[in-house]
Parts: sequence; structure tokens; C-alpha cells
Amino acid sequence: MSSSSPAHEVSASHGPGPAPGTGRRRFLRYGAAGATALLATGPLAGCSSRASASDASALSVWDLFQGGDGMLMNDMIRAASEGPEGFQVDRTILDWGPSYYTKLAMSAAGGRASDVAVLHLSRLAGYAPGGLLDPFDLDVLAEFGVTEKDFTSAVWSRTKHQGRVYAIPLDVHPFIVFYDRKAAGEAGLLDPKGELAPMGSPKALLEAGKALADVTGKSGILFGHVTDTAQSWRQFAALYAQTGASFTLPDGGPAEIDTDAAVQVVSFMQQLFDGRTNPNNLDYNAALAGFVGGRGGMAMLGEWELPTLQKSGIPLGAAPFPQVFGRPAVYTDSHSFVLPHQDSPDPARRREAHRYVAEILKQSLTWASAGHIPAYQPVLAEPGYAALKPQSSYADAGEVAVLDPPNWFAGAASNFQNRMCQPLQSALLGNTSAEKAVRQMVREANSLLRQPNPVA
Amino acid sequence: MTTIAPTGAPAPAGEPPVVPAPRRGTGRRGPGMLFVLPFAVPFALFLVWPVVQGLWMSLTDSSLTLRDTSFVGLDNYAEAFGDPDVWSSLGNTVFFTAASSVPLVLIALAMALLVHSGLAGQWVWRLSFFAPYLLPVTVVTLIWTWLYQPEVGLGNELLGSLGLEPVGWLSDEAVTMWSVAALTVWWTVGFNFLLYLAALQSLPSAYDEAAALDGAGAWRRLWSVTLPQLRRTSVLVAMLQILASLKVFDQIYILTKGGPNGSTRPILEYVYDIGFTGYRLGYASAVSYVFFALVIVVSLAQLRLFRQED
Repeated sequence: MSSSSPAHEVSASHGPGPAPGTGRRRFLRYGAAGATALLATGPLAGCSSRASASDASALSVWDLFQGGDGMLMNDMIRAASEGPEGFQVDRTILDWGPSYYTKLAMSAAGGRASDVAVLHLSRLAGYAPGGLLDPFDLDVLAEFGVTEKDFTSAVWSRTKHQGRVYAIPLDVHPFIVFYDRKAAGEAGLLDPKGELAPMGSPKALLEAGKALADVTGKSGILFGHVTDTAQSWRQFAALYAQTGASFTLPDGGPAEIDTDAAVQVVSFMQQLFDGRTNPNNLDYNAALAGFVGGRGGMAMLGEWELPTLQKSGIPLGAAPFPQVFGRPAVYTDSHSFVLPHQDSPDPARRREAHRYVAEILKQSLTWASAGHIPAYQPVLAEPGYAALKPQSSYADAGEVAVLDPPNWFAGAASNFQNRMCQPLQSALLGNTSAEKAVRQMVREANSLLRQPNPVA
Repeated sequence: MTTIAPTGAPAPAGEPPVVPAPRRGTGRRGPGMLFVLPFAVPFALFLVWPVVQGLWMSLTDSSLTLRDTSFVGLDNYAEAFGDPDVWSSLGNTVFFTAASSVPLVLIALAMALLVHSGLAGQWVWRLSFFAPYLLPVTVVTLIWTWLYQPEVGLGNELLGSLGLEPVGWLSDEAVTMWSVAALTVWWTVGFNFLLYLAALQSLPSAYDEAAALDGAGAWRRLWSVTLPQLRRTSVLVAMLQILASLKVFDQIYILTKGGPNGSTRPILEYVYDIGFTGYRLGYASAVSYVFFALVIVVSLAQLRLFRQED
């Protein structure tokens, strides 16, 4: 600052934007940030190329499985790769969430995507119609021992677009409840076999929450939803489907929602998490930590938390999401294999991709150990699956599976789920009424429906 | 004070021009270009070209998918101006900029003055003021997510020990943006602190000593001697800070994902939402150009303001 030049430069007429004096500093900051970003991507790039990217025969596979799931997928790939008929697989693991779906869409739009990728079945309506996926050849798949008969109709019906199959489900992963067996026992919530007894009514679940809170001395049912972009929607969708009402998003709108049923559900959620027996202000990690730390008797979570919870050492039980309204329904999604669009696929390679999908499906028992319900039904019949506890106790969830309403903007990690969660969160926090929250949900759904469809 | 007036605070103004005259016809442009090229090419490729392409895209219905793109004229802009989410997220961005920039400048100045005043253990202060700036955004956000936890977080624990009611740091719509601003101040104030400290250390001590001899107290010297000399640094810090705050994205995206109920969603997150999770690149480009226009207006306003004061 000893010279007067910087300020004069600022006021000199260099047009809009920062002048050289400031620009240089900003440039340096950006430069440093850019260099850091480059360094940060270095290890990742190394990771993806590790499995002989130069080898033209290696089948490239994209997925979003990290942590325990990622290791199990590694085991399955290794098992499928052994022997003379094995595969060479170049696996790329990407961070799950909106960014995964962006990358998948861009790679497919570029026409040089991986041979096989994983997609949540709820996202199919945003991918298949836009030409981002190539259909499976069911005859080829049947040659390798996988046919439509091997899946439940609830899940299989969602794999199609204009009569062709675009996704082969690997699993069904429902939103369920975990409970502390000891606490549930003391609260009198177990049946004679030691499993969580059916609830049957909203009142029963409310009372179960109070009873559990009495036992733990802290909270009854834990549920983390603050700043989460999926949890409240999952819970709402499960309970709403139980009322028998339907939630449909016809192209062009308006959304078809039974607002009375929706208000009933949101009011019930508000009662369940009223901030007394059950805290209403937890985020996802706090709810998980609270349950692991014994501050709650039950937690409403996805089954994929099973490995984490098993490691915690609490006497763990699991059950399908309790049925409190008229009919059984469980909010679910499904990890599926898809063939991202390639401009000029090599037929032999495509055939190998089909064989790979079939072989991995047959490894589903390994996958089930993480808590997922295998979509490939022959595995459920194996004695090894019945022995998996508590997985087998919620296997029926696959039959009453409810997925997001199909539309291009809905599904896992989508704007739609995020926008539905915002008013639900406000309602649970007591910032707004159930009626207002539902009105906002309808408004948000309609504003998404009014947007021009970018994949049609 | 009057005795120093003739030499005047803006003394360098009378010196020969510091800014060199443009070199015309020196014939040395060739080698100069060679040095500039490694920076100019990526700049043109990754900054100028995308800006131009973005402008074109904002006039089309371009999407991330394989669908054919067609020209839609100003439709995207018309949609943007009628989109309540654009306005609410622009409002959030402006609110955050105000809520974060003011403390980021004032606290940085206060910290720099404290350190410069000759506090004992200077290096400890310097380190602790600047260290948070070195942390990556993910780490900062993770730390603060736990501090803000309603049941187990340090924030409510402290309030509780003072006998105060717990606060919904990340769940109360009226509070959350302030939580984000507090995190941002803690995290980035070190950079401004450093700029101020450097400026303070390069100030000539003569004026301050002369004022002290004239009997000016500490406050008087701060107000009438030190702060006026720091004016150019303050202009620089404020400009950099406002531009940086307008660009807020990462910490909010990780901390609140724009919630609760959209109350912390900045315009850049909305652009990301429509462009990348919603695939609508054309519309996203139009919204970013609306934001671009706002940034230009702010920059021009700042330039004009500071030029007038000069």
C-alpha cells in the first residue's frame, strides 16, 4: 500500500468487473483453488484406471457403492471374475447423489459411456425416454439364466419403457424400522416369537413411541430429517401409500394427489414427532448416533444402515415399516443394472455385458448380507438367505414396494424428493400446519410438472 | 495534526507517474506474448469461451440429454423473471452477502489491529486467526454441523449452561442463514485479517508518533490517522469480500442443502439444481446470466462509489 497505484487502477476504466489490482489477487486465489482441485482429483483418476484401463477387453462398470456396500460389490465382482469364463472388470465407483446422476447422464449423452452402470429404478423415467439408456436383449439374458419370472411383478413392472426392458434390478432396498430388542421387549412391543408385533393403527404406533421413551428414559422413535433431502419424503410416501390413495404425476400436470389423505398422514407424522417423546429436530446423523447410543428405542431408516448398526453392538431387530393405515405398503427403491447409451456398441461386448449382469445377480446372497433384499427371487429361496437375520424378517417388503411416482424429475436424489422434503420438514418442526405443508407440496409438484420435459 | 498537513497523507500523488506509459513500438511484444500465452490460452478456453457459449445456451432449450436443441429466444429469461424460486434464491444470496461481508470486514480489521497493537504471543494469534482459512470446506462444514446439532451440539450445550433456550441452528428458517454466516466468518476471516495486517505493518509510523506527540489518544489516532490510511485496503477487502460472498455455494450445499424450506438456498445452488439435477442447461444458463447481471451491477456500483470518494 505504499504506492497509490492500486486504488487508481480500481477506478480506472477497465470496464465492468474487478480491475487488474484486484483481479490479480483473485486470479491467484482461483489458481490455488484450481491447483488444489487438480491435486484432489489425482488419486481418483489413479483409482479408476487401476484395473487395466488400457486393456480393451475389460468391461467398464460404473456404480455408486461405497463403504460396506462397495466391498461387497468387490467380492461379487471377484467371484464372477474367477475361472476361465471370468471377466476383466474396470470398476469405477462414484459418489452417490445428484452428482452421480449428472455424470451418468453426461457420459451417456456423450455416447461413450461405461458398458454397465447402476441406476435407481425410480430414476428410469428420467433416463430411458431421453435415449440415455439402451434396452436389454431379454433373449440374451435368458441364455445366461435370467428371465422375467425371477423378479416380483411390483419391481419388474417398473423396468420398462414403451414395452422394452431398460433395467435389471439387483435389489430392493426399503425404508424400514430398526429397534432395540431389549427396549422393545420391556415396552411390551414384541410378539411371542420375539419379533416386533404388528401395529395396525396410528394410535398403536404413537403409544409404542411413548412406551419406548419410558423405557429408554430419553426418546421413543428416532427419525432424522432436518436438512435431509429424502428422509421425510420416504416416510411420507410409505404412510401415504398405506392409506390406499395414489400419488401420480401425469405429464403436463396437474399432480393427482388425495389431499385429505396427505393431510392425515402429515398430521400423524407431526403427532409422532411432536418434540416430546420423539425429538422432531434431528438430522440424519444425529438420529443414527442417538439410536446407536441408546437414546431411542426405534429408528426409521433405510435398510442399508444395517452393517453400521450391527457393528454398534445393540441387540438389533428390524421390521418392515409398520402398517398403521388401511393396507400394507413400504417405500422402496431398487438398485438396477442398466446399459448406458453407446453410439456404436460392439455386439460381442454388449453380449458380455448381459452375461456380466446375469452372473452378478446370481451372487446376490453376498449382497443380501448388507441388508438389501435381493431382487433375483431364486436367491431368496436359498437356505442361506433364511439364515440371514434380521434380513429375512423384512424380505416381504419387496412385495408391497412403493416407488416414487414415475416422471422425469422424480426418483432417488432428485429435485422432486428435495422439494417434497422442504414443506414436510417445516411441518415436522412445527413451523407450518399439515394443511399448508400439503398445499405447498402440491404447488411444488405442479411447478415441476409445468416445466418443459428435457428428456422427452 | 496541522504540522503534518503540508506533506499530506496522500503524498505519493505528487510523485512522477508510477504507472508506466504504454510501451508503443518497442518491438518487445513477441517475447511478452510468449510468457502470457500459458495463462491466456486456458483463460480463453475455460473462462471466455464458456461464458460466450453459456450466453448462446441461455437462448436455447439445451438439455443434458440427447434431445435435439432448438432456439427459444428469450423464453428462458421470461420464465426466469416469473419464477419465484429465482427471486427467493437471489434474495437469499443478497441476504447472505450482507450478513457475512460486514462482520468479515469489521472482525478482520479488529483482529488485525489487536495483533498489530503488540499483543503478547503474536504468532499464536496470527496462527489461530488464519488457521481456519486453510481448512477445506468439507472439514469446516463437518465441524460446524456437529456444533449446530440440536441435541448433542456444543452450541445448544453452551446456551443451556447459560440458562438459555436451545436454538434451531439448522432447522429454524429465521436462524439458519445466520448460522451459515457465522461458519463462513470463522472460516474465511483469516484472509481479510492477513490483508489488513500486511497493510498495517507497512504504514509509516511517523504520522502516528506525531499525533501522539500532539496529545491524541489511542482512539483519536485510530480514527483519524490509522483508519484513513487503511482506506484503500478497506476498499480492496470489501470488494473482494462482496464478490466472494455473492458466489456462496459449497458450505451451504454441504451444511443445509438449501433448507430448511429453501431459506438458505443461494442462486448458484438453484442454478445447479435446474442445470444438473434437472438437466435443463438452457434455463440454468439464463438464470446464471440474470445473476451475472446482478454481479456486474454490484461491481459497477462499487467502482462508482469508491471513485467518487477518491
